[in-house]
Amino acid sequence: MNKLRLLVVDDDEDNRLVLRAICRKMDCFEIKDAVDGVEAVEMARSWHPHIILMDIMMPNMDGFEASKIIKNECPETVIIVVTAVLDRRIQDNMSLIGNDIYIHKPIDRELLRYKLASIGASLRIKEGNSNSLSTKIALNPFNSNIRSFKTFFEITNTEAMMDFGMWLYDHYNGKLTTASSKFDRVLEIFYMLMRRGNKNGNTMSIIIEESYEEFYITMKFDEEIVIEQKILDTLKEFETNIIVNNNIVCVSLSKPIKIKMDEKKYVLHVEESPKENIEIKEKVSESTEKKSEPIKEIRVIDSQEKELLKQSFVNKTSAADYVDEIGGDVLDEIRDLSSLDEEWIIKLRIIEEKSTSETLVDFADSVLNPYVKVINNLFEFTALAYALSSLSVFIKESAPVISQEDSKLKMFVMLLEHLGNDLTSWREHIFLLQDTADIHYLDSSFFSSCMQIEGIISNKDLDVDDDNDMEFF
Amino acid sequence: MAKKVIIVDDSRAVVATAELALDEMINSGVIEFKSYLNPMELLDALQNGSEDFDLLISDVNMPQLNGLDLARSIKSDERYKNKPIIILTTESSNEMKMTGKEIGVTGWMVKPFSDEKLVKSLKMILGV
Repeated sequence: MNKLRLLVVDDDEDNRLVLRAICRKMDCFEIKDAVDGVEAVEMARSWHPHIILMDIMMPNMDGFEASKIIKNECPETVIIVVTAVLDRRIQDNMSLIGNDIYIHKPIDRELLRYKLASIGASLRIKEGNSNSLSTKIALNPFNSNIRSFKTFFEITNTEAMMDFGMWLYDHYNGKLTTASSKFDRVLEIFYMLMRRGNKNGNTMSIIIEESYEEFYITMKFDEEIVIEQKILDTLKEFETNIIVNNNIVCVSLSKPIKIKMDEKKYVLHVEESPKENIEIKEKVSESTEKKSEPIKEIRVIDSQEKELLKQSFVNKTSAADYVDEIGGDVLDEIRDLSSLDEEWIIKLRIIEEKSTSETLVDFADSVLNPYVKVINNLFEFTALAYALSSLSVFIKESAPVISQEDSKLKMFVMLLEHLGNDLTSWREHIFLLQDTADIHYLDSSFFSSCMQIEGIISNKDLDVDDDNDMEFF
Repeated sequence: MAKKVIIVDDSRAVVATAELALDEMINSGVIEFKSYLNPMELLDALQNGSEDFDLLISDVNMPQLNGLDLARSIKSDERYKNKPIIILTTESSNEMKMTGKEIGVTGWMVKPFSDEKLVKSLKMILGV
């Protein structure tokens, strides 16, 4: 089996050595190097490399010029531009030479290997020679015995997040009809991590490896990442293992249908590590060595899947997007509402002890109305603000009646207490955890709760005769 | 024997309202009432067999799982295929109803519901 030819072009000898060392490990390339653009062009003509790693700033002829000539003469050559900066000019130049593969300096070894592996695999397939390139360099520390296809996502924007989410959702749930439910929480965590990875213009990459029993999801962040205990707990519940090391998070995720094998236990490491990019080494326990079939496949999300995903997100604003949009001042106001939680309960206890019009009106004025005032500033939640303010008006109007009827008052206090709890959890999901895919998930419940509270107290029948309210199939 | 009625709704207030409405049926031992705030918990319990029901009332919009998806999952399980499920919602678009029908839910109830209506439908479905 012939190896793929890889040409490393860089004027700096150290860089060439590093790149060669990284690529040599993959054992599927024959590697040569060139010191500038002129030599690169010559080599391309005489040696016909499959892949070229091209530096940009070089004497005699720069990387763009060389790429232009090479692409013109051998269009099938894959050129990976190695660059320290990716600005507008470089992007334009890259698209000019019909190239959109680039890799950042300083070189991220794993990323480079993955790019090379996937390009290599696709070249093999193109050549109708897909039985090799068994570059089973497992990135994950859990299991080296992975199926040889890997999926790579570069998370730069929301769409990329959705691509990843869709991929995982589809591959996880594809086999089961009932698994979707439990999995959503894990998916939410991934979304949250991706959003963090995208904060402040950072980007992150995700590489998914698969064995027959598990997915191994390796996330690489630009900056060091700290994972809260709450997230770890949720993931643990879901039979996942997680390793966090500086800026790399690796999660193993059992596939829903799995052959029960020896229990694998991994300890959670959170350790200080040197600043440079760490490489997660294989830490494989012997027991995980199982059969694996040589399946070669490069998985690309097809357009139909993408469409489906988009449809399911249509008209829904996720909490994270929403919070990003609203200003910091408003956010502060909402966070301050937590001080009202306690007040809410205290005032209700006061009503229980001393049920007078005054205590009821006090509840409406000092707790409910401040809440309404803040929510009123949130354009998206005017319906909720309206429901709460009507409730407040109702309470004030019927305070004399409510305070007189003991049984109703009890119900009233109980329901209001629940409503307070619902509001707290609503705030949490949307503004703190930002973990809901639809910010309006609780709107309708609030609305009906408020009406229900009013209904009980006012003894109003809620349109019992309206047939549209109930339907049996 | 008391029939087991489960309600799943992420709003505590809605759950409490339903419980209040069904107070009499619960106290007289006609039904046993249980509530879940998280549909995922219910689904887990149903799947591992630690939970069962004679009637399930489910909200639609819940952060963890949509009520229709919940119904679909439950209905796809042989054990619960023929058990009645009522969907609680504030909106009742035809599209949603069609989905409901497809999944095989028993009925549809619009929030806010009156006590009488809830009791009436329960009695009808459970035959008590």
